[in-house]
Amino acid sequence: MSQKEIEKMVKEYIKKVKEKLPDWLKNKKSELKDTLSEIEEHLWDKSEELSGIGAATEDSVRMAIAHMGTPQSIAKEYKKRGTPKVYITEELWPLYTKVLGILCAVIIVINVVAIILNLIFGSWENIEMSGLLLGIAGVFTIVTIIFVALSMEGYLPEDFKSEADRKREHKELEKAEQKGWSISKKSGKPLKPFMSPTGMIIGGIVQMAMGLVFIMLPNIGIISITSLMNPKFILILSLFGVFILMEGTIDLVRGVVGKQQITANQVLMTIKIAISLASISLIAFVMNNPGIISIIYWTEETGLNVLEISKSVQELISMGLAWIIFFVIIGAVFDLGKAISLNKYKNVN
Amino acid sequence: MIKRVKELGANALIASDKFRNYVERFESEINRGISTLCILSIIQDAGDAGIHGYAILKVLEEKTNEMLVIEEGTLYPVLRKLEGNGILKSNKKKVDGRERKVYSLTENGKKINNHLAGFYSKLTEAISPLLDISVHLQDRFLYCPNCANKIDLMEKESQFCEICGLNIQELRDRRLNEK
Repeated sequence: MSQKEIEKMVKEYIKKVKEKLPDWLKNKKSELKDTLSEIEEHLWDKSEELSGIGAATEDSVRMAIAHMGTPQSIAKEYKKRGTPKVYITEELWPLYTKVLGILCAVIIVINVVAIILNLIFGSWENIEMSGLLLGIAGVFTIVTIIFVALSMEGYLPEDFKSEADRKREHKELEKAEQKGWSISKKSGKPLKPFMSPTGMIIGGIVQMAMGLVFIMLPNIGIISITSLMNPKFILILSLFGVFILMEGTIDLVRGVVGKQQITANQVLMTIKIAISLASISLIAFVMNNPGIISIIYWTEETGLNVLEISKSVQELISMGLAWIIFFVIIGAVFDLGKAISLNKYKNVN
Repeated sequence: MIKRVKELGANALIASDKFRNYVERFESEINRGISTLCILSIIQDAGDAGIHGYAILKVLEEKTNEMLVIEEGTLYPVLRKLEGNGILKSNKKKVDGRERKVYSLTENGKKINNHLAGFYSKLTEAISPLLDISVHLQDRFLYCPNCANKIDLMEKESQFCEICGLNIQELRDRRLNEK
């Protein structure tokens, strides 16, 4: 057999190995090239050694290939990636649950919209839940089969990322290391600090000062402005001051506690949410009694005056306050989510 | 490793596929971890110059008297995995007239290898009475009492164990005085 034919034999074997390799490796061109050239070099080394004459022969190449194993057995080793966990690897599990969750949510939303449309334009009799159940069952089956197959092929979450994404993540990790940020043990991603203690202390002090001013309003009646205002409105403003003071105190305490005490921060954030929800009662009171709102204005001729608020403006104010209540509730839900999300800072490197 | 013989005795246990499969699976489980440990030790011995895949297998065969044999096709996926885990690093180098990928340990890889080697050594020493073997651990090394990390007493002095952070200064001084 000529040298060319021997080379052809090796190339054919390498080609078969390439065909059998998992897709995640085939998609990484430079890694694939490295892998195949490494196997090829190994074959030449081995066959030269086995021939005993320092050059590869037909027999020695055949033996070297036999030693290397079948293309299937080599590919099988490359597929052994990830930690097994009920047919889907532990590494792919979070992605699996995420995809499943998103698709199920989409199906639920589509079905809820369909039900609402049916209620508006159709009748109760047309409403069926079987579509929802079938959709969820279908999504579950298809997604599970796909992820089991991906696990068997040795895919890892990073294989779904582009080279640019990988570079960006690498840069982020370097930046996190420089800045001393925590790295999530679960996702391996850097976690930006969730607060600045100094900012929190300054903000807290400002808020406390503001709260104190509001609390003091009934006691500074000597000032002509407050003496002109409705006493009930001044009382409400002073009670608002109590809430602002409490919220400011919590921010100050959070700043002092620092960002290392995650549970303490979560508890303080929850208390702050409860305070902001409690303040709704005051807003609701003003909303129902817009007449107590006193707006003071000043003119050169008459000095300080109380502005008469017409009924229609009072209605507008009530509507505005209703929106404020709505935003306070939305803010509370958002803050609660933020407090819960601090859990990721507990499991860090 | 059960070596295949041409004529099996009729009563030989390996004549039974069930038994043979069981033993081979068991051996493969034992071999898997040990092979990786040996690969890391060979790469550590090669130092920063690094070593290529084929040379790793040759050293392994020689040092273990061909007792520990890694299937050639499985070596490269293992090396790739170790590289992916940040234990190994690689670069291209011309060796014997050919461009080759050579592997060396990363700084973390060196620490992990010392720890795994220490753990395995202490484990082998501990189970030696059960297997009727005697294991003698070299005096040159100190094994961290907390995590079994293998610490070379001749190398750079460190007050703490690199793996678990235990203060080993007193222990190190005592061992050096004994010597």
